[in-house]
Amino acid sequence: MIAKRTMIDLRLTCRLVPLACLLALSGGLVRAGAAPVAAPGVAAPGVAAPGVEAPGVGAPDVAAPDPVRAPYTPTQDAEVLQQVPAVADPAVKAMRSLRAKFEASPQDLGAAIELANAYIDYSRQIGDAHYAGYAEAVIAPWRARPTPPASVLLTEATILQYRHQFSDARDLLQETLRLDPHNGQAWLTLATLDMVQGDYARVGKECAAVTNDADLDTGLACLGSLRAFTGHARQSLVLLNQAQAPGASAAYQAWVHGLLAESAERLGDWQLAEAEYRKALAMLPEDNFLLVAYADFLLDRGRAREVLPLLAGHEQSDTAFLRIALAQAQLGSPEVVRSTWIMAARFAALRQRGSEYFGREEARFALSLQHDSRGSLDLALRNWQLQKAPWDARVVLEAALAAHDPRRAAEVIDFVRETHLEDPIVVPLAKELRDELASATAAGHPAAAASRTATAASR
Amino acid sequence: MRPASLGGVALLICLGSAAAGAHSASDAYLTLDAVATGAPAERSASAERSAAADRSAAAPRSAARATGAAGAILVAHGQWDIALRDLDFVLKLDDDGDGRITWGELKRHQAQIARYAAPQLSFTGGVGDRCSVRVTRQEVDGHADGAYSALFFDVLCARRPAVLHMSYKLFFAIDPSHRGIFVLHAGDDVATAVLAPENATIKLPL
Repeated sequence: MIAKRTMIDLRLTCRLVPLACLLALSGGLVRAGAAPVAAPGVAAPGVAAPGVEAPGVGAPDVAAPDPVRAPYTPTQDAEVLQQVPAVADPAVKAMRSLRAKFEASPQDLGAAIELANAYIDYSRQIGDAHYAGYAEAVIAPWRARPTPPASVLLTEATILQYRHQFSDARDLLQETLRLDPHNGQAWLTLATLDMVQGDYARVGKECAAVTNDADLDTGLACLGSLRAFTGHARQSLVLLNQAQAPGASAAYQAWVHGLLAESAERLGDWQLAEAEYRKALAMLPEDNFLLVAYADFLLDRGRAREVLPLLAGHEQSDTAFLRIALAQAQLGSPEVVRSTWIMAARFAALRQRGSEYFGREEARFALSLQHDSRGSLDLALRNWQLQKAPWDARVVLEAALAAHDPRRAAEVIDFVRETHLEDPIVVPLAKELRDELASATAAGHPAAAASRTATAASR
Repeated sequence: MRPASLGGVALLICLGSAAAGAHSASDAYLTLDAVATGAPAERSASAERSAAADRSAAAPRSAARATGAAGAILVAHGQWDIALRDLDFVLKLDDDGDGRITWGELKRHQAQIARYAAPQLSFTGGVGDRCSVRVTRQEVDGHADGAYSALFFDVLCARRPAVLHMSYKLFFAIDPSHRGIFVLHAGDDVATAVLAPENATIKLPL
């Protein structure tokens, strides 16, 4: 991740292969035609200065758009440069007051955890990882102790899970539960993690622990959510309806409505799904996760026109921005060229810092906006090693179909069959690829036959 | 948050069953142009400005402008792009709190930004041979994830160091996931590094 090298090593590499030296440290940036590299913010000859390298494959051959022009001095005082959280935002007010409380007594673990959780929550809400970093700093003094308290391990695990560092998150959750076996929050976080990773056999037990150690409603929601992935979406709807608690917090109610919407989608009940998304958004109108999920729903229904107003003002979130670009593409808007460029630059920046993983969105981006089915399939398969939700299966299947490479999707096809996933989009995709595989095998295609053997052996 | 039945601890709910995807985290972009060995001479403000302008236009880095302030040797020019979002978190740039940072607001905070940032970046030429960072001007730079304040600066040392050690600690104390994306131009060589809490000091051969 972080290369600890002296510059001496680099100088050699860089003298021989200028681009390779950047690749070596920044994890694979590619810029076609720029010589030798453009430093961030410093323009290369004839190229406007992007903060990050321009997109590689499929990059539109246009000058850099305004947001990435060379450094400049604005002429108007009123020019708006950047959106930031407004002080009137209740979440911002709450964070400020928690911060003040924490700074008044920096040794107070309770105040630190409360502030860190508020930051994490806000990070999720607006789709901005900065606040997860602030949360990490708040708990850092306790994290550095030889034996950190369970609450600190749990908060750190939540941050790592948010960053898709699932394996490290799991270790910390297990350590949390060793110290505090009846921590309902830890069980719920672990159940969520196992659901994302498709380890459904373990989730049932974890949801039972949520019921015992948190409360019945949350346990029912946990089980209901699980059922939606294992071929029991109807039961899932029943359980999730039972999990509804009208007196509960807006976040809880929005969570359950969001899960209901997903279960309805598994069944292809679009009317119910939409109604549940709207109920969830009525509870948390600015929630990035819900906005993005509803935007995906609309894009699938061919309703891109509704996506743009829905996500207006949320361009800062990368996940929301991707849906805006997808909507523009669906509408044939000329804006898509600019959005594709910016999205590629944002992915490049994420890769350049060498940490977060974002395969699902990038696979969609590569397929739908860069029209690079092979690149998309590579990204989707790497992502599949990390997470196995229906959308993760879908990006593999769509890319494999577009790339005419069904054998590389064999593992995903098997997973969909074995878990009895219900999904009116994913299941037909898997069937189409399975048929392609079967006909390739029948025709004696050696690659397909080899892949089947490999898949069987890996089981 | 729905209060759970465990001692008033609220459950943090990960909305939806699947984790969401990409999220921009905190990055800053630091570029250093090593100034080739040349005779130190008095440095004029206009020379500095035109050198900076040349860099913006990507003109070849010129050894002819390798001049230093009186008593100090100019070792490198730099550009440091720091996200306004990050600066707002520590310095509260959004004076009227309306959720929008304007150029007028940023201008009013520029001196404060320079005072805050400069000590976060330090250079030493050798044991006890500390160099100074002098912010010369600030502009606005657009990156894919938002606007950044571009700080142009000079690195000045008492004598020309054979090796320069650079220490970077911007935002690490408030956000350990912050990264400094660093690019060094030294003659025809280009080198890069990702500056992180565990990789905060690096050696730059000039």
